[in-house]
Amino acid sequence: MEKTKVPSKVGLFIFDPGGGLARAIDLEAVLQKLTKAKNVARCEVIRDLWETNFHDSIKKDLAAGDINRILWVGRFSPDQEKKIQSELASEGLNPYLHEWCDLGEQGIGQNGGDGVDRGAETQKALILIQMALARTRLLEPLEPLSLPAVDAVLIVGAGVAGLHTATSFMDLGKRVYLIDKESGVGGKVASLSRLYPRICDPRCGLEYEIQKLKESDKVEVHTLSLIKSLAGSPGNFEVTIEKRPRYVNEERCNACGECMRACPIVIPEQSTPIPLFSTAPALQGAMNLLKSRKKAIHPATPMPYPSAFVIDRMHCPPECRECVKACPTQAVELEQSPSEAVFRVGTVILTTGWDPYPLSKVEEYGYGLYPNVISNLEMERLLENPPEFRELGFIQCAGSRDERHLNYCSSVCCSATLKQVRYLKEKAPDARCYIFYQDIRTPGFDEELYQQVKSLSDVIFIRGNPSTVKPEGDTGKLRIRAEDTLSGKEVSLSLDLLVLAGGMTPSDGSRDIAQLLNLPQNNFGFFESHLQCHPEESQRTGIYVGGACRGPMNVSQSIESSHRAAMEALAFLNETVLIEPTYPVVDVTKCDKCKRCMEDCPFTAFYFDANGFPAPDLAKCRQCGNCMGTCPIAAISLRHFTIKQTAARIQAIKASFIGKEEPVILAFLCKNDAYYAARSAADSGLPIPPNVFFIKVPCAGSVSNALVADAISFGIDGILIAGCVDGQCHYVKGNQLVKTRSGDLSDKLKKMMIEPERVRFENLEIRDSRRYVELVNSYIRELKAMGPNPFKV
Amino acid sequence: MPPKTDKEKCDSCKAEKETLCEQICPGDLMTLGEDKKAFCRMPRDCWDCMSCVKACPKSALETRMPYQLGYHVARLIPMMGTNTITWTCIDINGKVERFHYKNRGSDE
Repeated sequence: MEKTKVPSKVGLFIFDPGGGLARAIDLEAVLQKLTKAKNVARCEVIRDLWETNFHDSIKKDLAAGDINRILWVGRFSPDQEKKIQSELASEGLNPYLHEWCDLGEQGIGQNGGDGVDRGAETQKALILIQMALARTRLLEPLEPLSLPAVDAVLIVGAGVAGLHTATSFMDLGKRVYLIDKESGVGGKVASLSRLYPRICDPRCGLEYEIQKLKESDKVEVHTLSLIKSLAGSPGNFEVTIEKRPRYVNEERCNACGECMRACPIVIPEQSTPIPLFSTAPALQGAMNLLKSRKKAIHPATPMPYPSAFVIDRMHCPPECRECVKACPTQAVELEQSPSEAVFRVGTVILTTGWDPYPLSKVEEYGYGLYPNVISNLEMERLLENPPEFRELGFIQCAGSRDERHLNYCSSVCCSATLKQVRYLKEKAPDARCYIFYQDIRTPGFDEELYQQVKSLSDVIFIRGNPSTVKPEGDTGKLRIRAEDTLSGKEVSLSLDLLVLAGGMTPSDGSRDIAQLLNLPQNNFGFFESHLQCHPEESQRTGIYVGGACRGPMNVSQSIESSHRAAMEALAFLNETVLIEPTYPVVDVTKCDKCKRCMEDCPFTAFYFDANGFPAPDLAKCRQCGNCMGTCPIAAISLRHFTIKQTAARIQAIKASFIGKEEPVILAFLCKNDAYYAARSAADSGLPIPPNVFFIKVPCAGSVSNALVADAISFGIDGILIAGCVDGQCHYVKGNQLVKTRSGDLSDKLKKMMIEPERVRFENLEIRDSRRYVELVNSYIRELKAMGPNPFKV
Repeated sequence: MPPKTDKEKCDSCKAEKETLCEQICPGDLMTLGEDKKAFCRMPRDCWDCMSCVKACPKSALETRMPYQLGYHVARLIPMMGTNTITWTCIDINGKVERFHYKNRGSDE
């Protein structure tokens, strides 16, 4: 790292506008000490921050080189900090050469001076300023980095979420690559009959988006395509996709359909391998509907965009050339082979959607055994022309909320069934519908749908799922037995058709991509993310997840979700990606390539540089500092929060400043919550004992054992590391990593005949200010009972 | 006497190709056993330099004191800070002595 040769000359300004600090501590004595401190060029108390004389004098000193770093002591609002930084930046003082030392948040002068030992407070304030001074000496000027980036996005999955997001990006003027593994776009939603709550045709909305895509030259749609590899870093990904052959030239085909008329091969639309053994006419009609057929050469599915036809070659007889002969534009190319394409994109959005839970696993309902047991997705296809059924059953939670199958609620099935019933009753008012349910879950405005369906005649809700489903002789009907748990009576019904509301699972494509891109998945296989704060941010920077691949959701929710993903992705969709200069740096003269940083980085941001040393990919890095914490030889430092700066701060603590018997605690507080707990404890006037000093850290996981060992060896009695509650860490697992490490250190202390409790890890939430104070006080009592740290002098 | 491994603690440096104790040992004596735990393959060649003990990120290694320095149950335990080292010596009578050094060559 480049070192400035100029020695540090610190201007130290204590901002005490109302004189409150002077009342709380012996400011004169502190000032006297500090004036003589090493590297302090100027030290004074200021009353008015914006006094012109004061500013002019700083500017003069800066220009003359009399000061080159400034330590501000006191409470400054973020606006004040920004204003000071920008004003002095014009005088050539880098914004990273300011250090801010807030005595108030450490508890100095905050509780009106009642019952406070003024001497101890003065000593504590002095130490705090000396700590800050130790860091100020080591500050380095830093400049933000800007990396060149690509203004394009890859969207994987052209379902409803992918399509809507693609057109939104298009409107923003971004280049979009939209890929899908099917031959056409539209995804699952295209196979639905109606959408709730408006009971409208989903194809209407999809077609609207497709029209927009057609008109744009910003969007490239690649169907029959899968991601093969993803290289590079956020802002600069290089994606390779593999395209399966279409056997029809997309540019030549005009979708006239001549080939389809000539094609001799008929294949089922969707494989429904249900044996048709019933003779009931209504049922046969239904089954024919479900078994609608197409030719081996056919328009793209689910929605015919791109408009070029596609051939299912696996069904073609080897020598057949009928389509080639029939095509008036010579578009059929049976010799096509798989191809690859490479794009450069700034970010990737995954909208890989869902698959229905395989209902044949829910054995008790006879799906796959009896032809008139169908899934709710198959019901969608029957809805447009419903056969003449008299009695229909709907089973909710078929496999959902069931520990043997899906141990979650798929959240859409209740509304979907209600929609189906409502629409069916419009088409066939005489049909009688029985709905077997555990609970009807219609969140938000879906309640209206529930009320509407409840008011329909011949719709019967039965609370309780059927125990047996059996065919009734060869009448083609089903005999259902169930217990109505509300009345306690047994119900036995004869039904024409039984519809199972199956749950949603992550699609096979989602699982494949998770494996390919090393994306963490939750227990149910959906993409993992920080659900409360960044639901659409995957744990790999620059890759976002939207729609039902993230969890069960309905159509409007998945469009919302993918747009949220798009919003977060926009940061990487510029000509440049701006990187804060506080990124980690690996000291290669120290590093012994143990790769723990690579192992523990929650975002797998590390790669090997040309010499085999680990190096952080700055675009992927989220600057949490877990690499710094995990490095066993302290060779990694976050810039502006270096190991050296922190070690210097720790060394500045005089462990026996209030007498050897009084324990001194050093707390490392996660800046996401524990720090706020401590700060608000001080601000709300809770009595903070003078025994505790805290250092704000970007994540508890950034605390290195070497720093804790330093603190112990300098005689500090207790080290408190406070991080988030498990599962709430913004950096996935920083709290757990530091917990294990500090546990190891505790064990070492035990061997050294030192009480292992001198290192302690605690979980603190942001509003735990009272708990923080109680924790500190009880820790002080414990440490007092232990006696002073043997290293204390 | 070669170092002793706490098998509960040793994580075989998460199956890296060369563990930290392996890298640092001047005699190239440390290696992973079949159980994927570090051990000294030639105990008689160990100099008790304690490099491996200091390097172990999991504090899983401990020196077994050679009899010339202290009889059984005597212990010598280093703890590494950022730029400091702390020694704890415990003799066979349980007497504890501690030493704390700042490393030479530190840049301040």
